[in-house]
Amino acid sequence: MTQVMKGVRVLEVAQFTFVPAAGAILADWGADIIKIEHPVRGDTQRGFINMGGIPVDPNRNPLMEHPNRGKRSVGIDISNPLGQELLYDIAKTSDVFLTNYLPSVRQKNKFDFEHIRKANPKIVYARGSAYGDKGAERDVGGFDGTAFWSRSGVGYAMSPAELEGPLSQGIMAFGDSIGGMFIAGGISAALFNRERTGEGVELDVSLLSSAWWAAGANIAQGLETGAMTRNAMPTSGGSARNPFMGNFRTSDGGTINFCIISPTGLIRDTFEHLGIPDAASDPRFADVRALIDNSKAASDLVVKAIGSKPFAYWRQHLKTMKGQWAPIQSLLDLTNDAQALANDMIVELEGDNGKPFKVVRGPVQFNHEPLKTTRAPQASEHTETFLMEIGIEWDRIEKLKAAGAIA
Amino acid sequence: MKAGTKLKSAVCDTEVMVIRAANTVVDCGGVPMAEERPAERKPVNPAFAEGTKIGKRYVDDAGTIELLCVKPGQGSLSIAGVALKLKDAKPLPASD
Repeated sequence: MTQVMKGVRVLEVAQFTFVPAAGAILADWGADIIKIEHPVRGDTQRGFINMGGIPVDPNRNPLMEHPNRGKRSVGIDISNPLGQELLYDIAKTSDVFLTNYLPSVRQKNKFDFEHIRKANPKIVYARGSAYGDKGAERDVGGFDGTAFWSRSGVGYAMSPAELEGPLSQGIMAFGDSIGGMFIAGGISAALFNRERTGEGVELDVSLLSSAWWAAGANIAQGLETGAMTRNAMPTSGGSARNPFMGNFRTSDGGTINFCIISPTGLIRDTFEHLGIPDAASDPRFADVRALIDNSKAASDLVVKAIGSKPFAYWRQHLKTMKGQWAPIQSLLDLTNDAQALANDMIVELEGDNGKPFKVVRGPVQFNHEPLKTTRAPQASEHTETFLMEIGIEWDRIEKLKAAGAIA
Repeated sequence: MKAGTKLKSAVCDTEVMVIRAANTVVDCGGVPMAEERPAERKPVNPAFAEGTKIGKRYVDDAGTIELLCVKPGQGSLSIAGVALKLKDAKPLPASD
């Protein structure tokens, strides 16, 4: 398998999903990720009892496997001076330092930029934060539910004004997983720069900036016009200006989404697929300008047409339609979607008790090759084997253990 | 046994790294482990057949010994007939 990051070592002092997800992406790409965990407690996400209200099996924990597959775990107490010294020794062998600890914690435990740079002057130092590493709130923590979804304005924009309140994020680690990919992209660019110039940079990605980038087109419009749109309440029908833009209910309660933004050349094909070819000859709908002016009348025809047949019919029948459309399906429906499977979007890991554990592959695929990777590590699984690999003698390992600096 | 060395099971694929050593004999599947695997496998004692899990650490009650499983197998670990226990991470409880 192609491993574009082979030979790169990332020292990850992070927990939860946002920043570890960056490590997972780089691990998928072939990097050697050394995940530092608390020697007794491990990553806080190991303690999740419920996820989305569903109980979590600690030996088959989606919140550990998704953001930590392909890594090794080394248990170090980073508040212990001997543990810090060991961290510097590992930093000397690493290309990237990756962390989401708050500035005050990085200072207190001496693994802030200047400490790690002193150990390795060429290391790329990557930080993930809630609100950014500058400004009055740089030392304030956050999750995607707070920074990415709530404060950013994304949750507000997603929620129709008619609802009693804003929708919640609804998908666990949604903003974290998106933002983690952004960090991985930044690290890749920083490594490319280091290859060219010999210099390591420091880089920051916040959950807030991740959300703002994802909402960037709307925000630019808002800054320009002062107007900000919000989601509309669900209906069956086209938009006020385009009858081929919207969700349409099938006869059995399913939903088909039409997204024919630019209908030129597609009007007849669309009406034909809907089983109402005569509409294409109606002067009210015959060209795009007229269609936009008579959107409501055309939308009523589409609603009636889609509503006359079941979901399964449309899923099959619309496959030859030229305009863009999609069935509304669940995340779980996608696991049986032939197209998703043809693109190797599911990866099997070795799971507890011999039963495979399935995770989603990262969004980038190299050379059309399916991803092969390993399960997430047990807490501190690789402490001794990794330390010996980088040349640390057993005598020192014993001393570190006696001092409580390692697990 | 010596810390940093590996012990192999006589009954299955289990292999452990000695993290904390003690002057005692560790059994896997009810049969003593050693640095070399015997030419022929011995049968697993059904009383010690719960298996070992890769990446897990095993300790005795007194905390005198610690073994890290580097290869899993069908036998389970014991000392003088007393099963060793999993040394799991003790994460703080969290929920959404």
